[in-house]
Amino acid sequence: MDDLEQQLRRALARKDPSPWFEAKVLAAVAAQQTARRTWWERLRWATVPVAAALVLAAVVWQHRRADAERAAGLEAKARLQLALKVTRVKLEKIQHKVQTATNEL
Amino acid sequence: MKTAAQRTEQPKPDEKHSTRDFAELLRANQSMVFSIAFHSLRDRAVAEELAQEVFLELYRRLNELESEAHVTYWLRKVTTNRCIDYIRKRKLRMAVSLDSAPEPSSTDDHEDVLMSRKLRALISGLPEKARMIIILRYQEELMPEEIAKVMDMPLGTVKSHLHRSLALLRDKIDRSMGEVR
Repeated sequence: MDDLEQQLRRALARKDPSPWFEAKVLAAVAAQQTARRTWWERLRWATVPVAAALVLAAVVWQHRRADAERAAGLEAKARLQLALKVTRVKLEKIQHKVQTATNEL
Repeated sequence: MKTAAQRTEQPKPDEKHSTRDFAELLRANQSMVFSIAFHSLRDRAVAEELAQEVFLELYRRLNELESEAHVTYWLRKVTTNRCIDYIRKRKLRMAVSLDSAPEPSSTDDHEDVLMSRKLRALISGLPEKARMIIILRYQEELMPEEIAKVMDMPLGTVKSHLHRSLALLRDKIDRSMGEVR
Protein backbone atom coordinates (compact mmCIF):
# COMPACT_ATOMS: atom_id res chain seq x y z
CA MET A 1 0.00 0.00 0.00
CA ASP A 2 1.61 3.27 -1.05
CA ASP A 3 1.84 6.58 0.74
CA LEU A 4 -0.79 8.25 -1.45
CA GLU A 5 -3.41 5.70 -0.41
CA GLN A 6 -2.61 6.33 3.28
CA GLN A 7 -2.86 10.06 2.70
CA LEU A 8 -6.21 9.57 0.95
CA ARG A 9 -7.49 7.61 3.94
CA ARG A 10 -6.44 10.42 6.26
CA ALA A 11 -7.93 13.09 3.98
CA LEU A 12 -11.22 11.24 3.63
CA ALA A 13 -11.66 10.19 7.25
CA ARG A 14 -15.29 10.26 8.34
CA LYS A 15 -16.55 13.51 9.79
CA ASP A 16 -19.47 14.16 12.09
CA PRO A 17 -22.36 16.37 11.03
CA SER A 18 -23.37 19.27 13.26
CA PRO A 19 -24.51 18.29 16.80
CA TRP A 20 -28.12 19.22 16.03
CA PHE A 21 -28.30 17.09 12.86
CA GLU A 22 -29.85 14.10 14.62
CA ALA A 23 -32.53 16.24 16.28
CA LYS A 24 -33.25 17.98 12.98
CA VAL A 25 -33.79 14.69 11.14
CA LEU A 26 -35.98 13.28 13.92
CA ALA A 27 -38.08 16.46 13.88
CA ALA A 28 -38.47 16.19 10.09
CA VAL A 29 -39.55 12.56 10.49
CA ALA A 30 -42.09 13.54 13.15
CA ALA A 31 -43.44 16.31 10.91
CA GLN A 32 -43.73 13.85 8.03
CA GLN A 33 -45.57 11.38 10.28
CA THR A 34 -48.02 14.07 11.46
CA ALA A 35 -48.65 15.20 7.88
CA ARG A 36 -49.34 11.62 6.83
CA ARG A 37 -51.62 11.03 9.84
CA THR A 38 -53.57 14.24 9.13
CA TRP A 39 -54.03 13.17 5.53
CA TRP A 40 -55.26 9.74 6.62
CA GLU A 41 -57.64 11.19 9.21
CA ARG A 42 -59.05 13.60 6.63
CA LEU A 43 -59.56 10.65 4.31
CA ARG A 44 -61.21 8.66 7.10
CA TRP A 45 -63.71 11.46 7.78
CA ALA A 46 -64.36 11.83 4.06
CA THR A 47 -65.45 8.18 3.93
CA VAL A 48 -68.54 8.93 6.10
CA PRO A 49 -70.32 11.30 3.62
CA VAL A 50 -69.14 9.19 0.70
CA ALA A 51 -70.66 6.06 2.29
CA ALA A 52 -73.90 7.93 3.11
CA ALA A 53 -74.17 9.19 -0.47
CA LEU A 54 -73.64 5.65 -1.77
CA VAL A 55 -76.37 4.24 0.51
CA LEU A 56 -78.77 7.02 -0.53
CA ALA A 57 -78.05 6.40 -4.22
CA ALA A 58 -78.69 2.67 -3.73
CA VAL A 59 -82.04 3.34 -1.96
CA VAL A 60 -83.20 5.76 -4.69
CA TRP A 61 -82.18 3.30 -7.41
CA GLN A 62 -84.04 0.45 -5.67
CA HIS A 63 -87.14 2.64 -5.26
CA ARG A 64 -87.15 3.63 -8.94
CA ARG A 65 -86.70 0.03 -9.97
CA ALA A 66 -89.69 -1.06 -7.82
CA ASP A 67 -91.82 1.74 -9.35
CA ALA A 68 -90.91 0.67 -12.86
CA GLU A 69 -91.74 -2.97 -12.06
CA ARG A 70 -95.12 -1.95 -10.57
CA ALA A 71 -95.98 0.12 -13.66
CA ALA A 72 -95.02 -2.77 -15.95
CA GLY A 73 -97.19 -5.12 -13.86
CA LEU A 74 -100.22 -2.79 -14.08
CA GLU A 75 -99.80 -2.50 -17.84
CA ALA A 76 -99.65 -6.29 -18.20
CA LYS A 77 -102.77 -6.65 -16.00
CA ALA A 78 -104.69 -4.15 -18.18
CA ARG A 79 -103.67 -6.03 -21.35
CA LEU A 80 -104.76 -9.33 -19.86
CA GLN A 81 -108.14 -7.86 -18.80
CA LEU A 82 -108.68 -6.52 -22.34
CA ALA A 83 -107.77 -9.88 -23.86
CA LEU A 84 -110.22 -11.67 -21.52
CA LYS A 85 -112.97 -9.18 -22.40
CA VAL A 86 -112.41 -9.73 -26.17
CA THR A 87 -112.46 -13.49 -25.65
CA ARG A 88 -115.66 -13.26 -23.60
CA VAL A 89 -117.39 -11.25 -26.37
CA LYS A 90 -116.28 -13.75 -29.04
CA LEU A 91 -117.48 -16.70 -26.94
CA GLU A 92 -120.86 -15.00 -26.40
CA LYS A 93 -121.22 -14.52 -30.17
CA ILE A 94 -120.35 -18.18 -30.83
CA GLN A 95 -122.77 -19.32 -28.11
CA HIS A 96 -125.51 -17.13 -29.66
CA LYS A 97 -124.92 -18.67 -33.12
CA VAL A 98 -124.97 -22.20 -31.71
CA GLN A 99 -128.19 -21.43 -29.81
CA THR A 100 -129.87 -20.01 -32.97
CA ALA A 101 -128.85 -23.05 -35.07
CA THR A 102 -130.20 -25.46 -32.42
CA ASN A 103 -133.58 -23.63 -32.32
CA GLU A 104 -133.91 -23.78 -36.14
CA LEU A 105 -133.52 -27.59 -36.10
CA MET B 1 -9.11 2.34 11.36
CA LYS B 2 -12.12 0.09 11.05
CA THR B 3 -12.61 -1.87 7.84
CA ALA B 4 -15.88 -2.02 5.95
CA ALA B 5 -16.48 -5.55 7.23
CA GLN B 6 -15.99 -4.42 10.83
CA ARG B 7 -18.30 -1.44 10.36
CA THR B 8 -21.05 -3.50 8.76
CA GLU B 9 -22.88 -5.79 11.12
CA GLN B 10 -23.95 -9.28 10.12
CA PRO B 11 -27.37 -9.48 8.44
CA LYS B 12 -30.29 -10.57 10.60
CA PRO B 13 -32.79 -11.85 8.02
CA ASP B 14 -35.80 -11.99 10.33
CA GLU B 15 -35.25 -8.58 11.83
CA LYS B 16 -37.82 -5.95 10.80
CA HIS B 17 -37.07 -2.44 11.82
CA SER B 18 -39.72 -0.59 13.70
CA THR B 19 -40.06 3.16 13.84
CA ARG B 20 -38.22 3.14 17.17
CA ASP B 21 -35.14 1.63 15.58
CA PHE B 22 -34.84 4.58 13.24
CA ALA B 23 -33.14 6.82 15.82
CA GLU B 24 -30.52 4.12 16.42
CA LEU B 25 -29.92 3.67 12.70
CA LEU B 26 -29.62 7.43 12.32
CA ARG B 27 -27.09 7.64 15.16
CA ALA B 28 -25.06 4.71 13.79
CA ASN B 29 -24.95 5.90 10.17
CA GLN B 30 -25.08 9.69 10.26
CA SER B 31 -21.33 10.24 10.02
CA MET B 32 -21.06 7.80 7.10
CA VAL B 33 -23.86 9.43 5.09
CA PHE B 34 -22.77 12.96 5.97
CA SER B 35 -19.11 12.25 5.14
CA ILE B 36 -19.89 10.75 1.72
CA ALA B 37 -21.94 13.85 0.93
CA PHE B 38 -19.46 16.27 2.47
CA HIS B 39 -16.41 14.81 0.72
CA SER B 40 -18.14 14.81 -2.63
CA LEU B 41 -19.94 18.18 -2.41
CA ARG B 42 -17.44 20.11 -0.25
CA ASP B 43 -20.24 22.09 1.37
CA ARG B 44 -21.27 21.32 4.94
CA ALA B 45 -24.79 22.82 4.70
CA VAL B 46 -25.60 21.12 1.39
CA ALA B 47 -24.14 17.84 2.68
CA GLU B 48 -26.36 17.99 5.80
CA GLU B 49 -29.40 18.81 3.69
CA LEU B 50 -28.71 15.87 1.39
CA ALA B 51 -28.01 13.55 4.33
CA GLN B 52 -31.33 14.58 5.91
CA GLU B 53 -33.20 13.76 2.68
CA VAL B 54 -31.49 10.36 2.56
CA PHE B 55 -32.56 9.58 6.15
CA LEU B 56 -36.15 10.71 5.46
CA GLU B 57 -36.21 8.35 2.49
CA LEU B 58 -34.79 5.63 4.75
CA TYR B 59 -37.61 6.22 7.23
CA ARG B 60 -40.20 5.80 4.47
CA ARG B 61 -38.61 2.55 3.29
CA LEU B 62 -37.66 1.12 6.68
CA ASN B 63 -39.96 -1.89 6.36
CA GLU B 64 -38.48 -2.86 3.00
CA LEU B 65 -34.97 -3.24 4.43
CA GLU B 66 -34.22 -6.59 5.98
CA SER B 67 -31.11 -6.11 8.08
CA GLU B 68 -28.59 -3.55 9.30
CA ALA B 69 -26.19 -4.66 6.56
CA HIS B 70 -28.95 -4.03 4.03
CA VAL B 71 -29.57 -0.58 5.56
CA THR B 72 -25.85 0.29 5.32
CA TYR B 73 -25.69 -0.88 1.71
CA TRP B 74 -28.90 1.03 0.86
CA LEU B 75 -27.64 4.22 2.53
CA ARG B 76 -24.32 4.12 0.65
CA LYS B 77 -26.09 3.49 -2.66
CA VAL B 78 -28.74 6.19 -2.23
CA THR B 79 -26.27 8.77 -0.89
CA THR B 80 -23.87 8.08 -3.76
CA ASN B 81 -26.61 8.39 -6.38
CA ARG B 82 -27.97 11.57 -4.83
CA CYS B 83 -24.50 13.13 -4.70
CA ILE B 84 -23.92 12.30 -8.38
CA ASP B 85 -27.34 13.79 -9.26
CA TYR B 86 -26.60 16.89 -7.22
CA ILE B 87 -23.19 17.41 -8.82
CA ARG B 88 -24.67 16.94 -12.29
CA LYS B 89 -27.54 19.33 -11.63
CA ARG B 90 -25.50 22.10 -10.12
CA LYS B 91 -22.40 21.45 -12.21
CA LEU B 92 -20.49 21.52 -8.99
CA ARG B 93 -17.16 20.45 -10.40
CA MET B 94 -14.94 22.87 -8.65
CA ALA B 95 -11.96 24.11 -10.58
CA VAL B 96 -8.93 23.47 -8.48
CA SER B 97 -5.87 25.60 -8.73
CA LEU B 98 -2.83 24.02 -7.18
CA ASP B 99 -1.15 27.40 -7.26
CA SER B 100 -3.69 28.66 -4.74
CA ALA B 101 -2.99 25.83 -2.30
CA PRO B 102 -1.05 26.96 0.73
CA GLU B 103 2.58 25.93 0.92
CA PRO B 104 3.45 23.14 3.31
CA SER B 105 5.35 24.21 6.39
CA SER B 106 8.29 22.41 7.92
CA THR B 107 6.40 20.50 10.65
CA ASP B 108 5.13 17.02 9.74
CA ASP B 109 1.69 17.50 11.36
CA HIS B 110 1.01 20.70 9.54
CA GLU B 111 2.26 19.10 6.35
CA ASP B 112 -0.29 16.30 6.83
CA VAL B 113 -3.13 18.75 7.32
CA LEU B 114 -2.15 20.66 4.20
CA MET B 115 -1.76 17.48 2.21
CA SER B 116 -5.23 16.31 3.29
CA ARG B 117 -6.70 19.66 2.35
CA LYS B 118 -4.98 19.58 -1.02
CA LEU B 119 -6.10 16.00 -1.67
CA ARG B 120 -9.72 16.84 -0.80
CA ALA B 121 -9.59 19.78 -3.20
CA LEU B 122 -8.13 17.59 -5.94
CA ILE B 123 -10.76 14.90 -5.34
CA SER B 124 -13.53 17.49 -5.66
CA GLY B 125 -12.12 18.30 -9.09
CA LEU B 126 -12.56 14.72 -10.33
CA PRO B 127 -15.58 13.78 -12.48
CA GLU B 128 -18.55 12.79 -10.30
CA LYS B 129 -18.33 9.00 -10.71
CA ALA B 130 -14.55 8.88 -10.24
CA ARG B 131 -14.96 11.10 -7.16
CA MET B 132 -17.56 8.79 -5.63
CA ILE B 133 -15.39 5.74 -6.34
CA ILE B 134 -12.41 7.33 -4.54
CA ILE B 135 -14.64 8.29 -1.58
CA LEU B 136 -16.17 4.82 -1.30
CA ARG B 137 -12.71 3.23 -1.58
CA TYR B 138 -10.80 5.40 0.91
CA GLN B 139 -13.50 6.77 3.21
CA GLU B 140 -15.66 3.65 3.38
CA GLU B 141 -12.82 1.15 2.78
CA LEU B 142 -14.95 -0.71 0.23
CA MET B 143 -13.34 -3.19 -2.13
CA PRO B 144 -13.76 -2.57 -5.89
CA GLU B 145 -16.32 -5.42 -6.04
CA GLU B 146 -18.44 -3.73 -3.34
CA ILE B 147 -18.13 -0.35 -5.08
CA ALA B 148 -19.27 -1.93 -8.35
CA LYS B 149 -22.36 -3.26 -6.57
CA VAL B 150 -23.17 0.03 -4.82
CA MET B 151 -22.73 2.05 -8.01
CA ASP B 152 -24.25 -0.47 -10.43
CA MET B 153 -21.07 -0.45 -12.51
CA PRO B 154 -18.97 -3.20 -14.09
CA LEU B 155 -15.99 -4.17 -11.93
CA GLY B 156 -13.58 -3.36 -14.75
CA THR B 157 -14.91 0.20 -14.99
CA VAL B 158 -14.51 0.72 -11.23
CA LYS B 159 -10.93 -0.57 -11.36
CA SER B 160 -10.02 1.59 -14.33
CA HIS B 161 -11.57 4.69 -12.68
CA LEU B 162 -9.58 3.95 -9.51
CA HIS B 163 -6.36 3.41 -11.42
CA ARG B 164 -6.77 6.57 -13.50
CA SER B 165 -7.83 8.73 -10.56
CA LEU B 166 -4.90 7.57 -8.41
CA ALA B 167 -2.46 8.22 -11.26
CA LEU B 168 -3.95 11.69 -11.79
CA LEU B 169 -3.83 12.55 -8.08
CA ARG B 170 -0.26 11.22 -7.78
CA ASP B 171 0.83 13.26 -10.76
CA LYS B 172 -0.77 16.46 -9.48
CA ILE B 173 0.66 15.98 -5.99
CA ASP B 174 4.14 15.25 -7.37
CA ARG B 175 3.98 18.31 -9.59
CA SER B 176 2.83 20.54 -6.75
CA MET B 177 5.56 19.16 -4.48
CA GLY B 178 8.10 19.86 -7.22
CA GLU B 179 6.84 23.42 -7.49
CA VAL B 180 7.09 23.87 -3.73
CA ARG B 181 10.65 22.59 -3.71
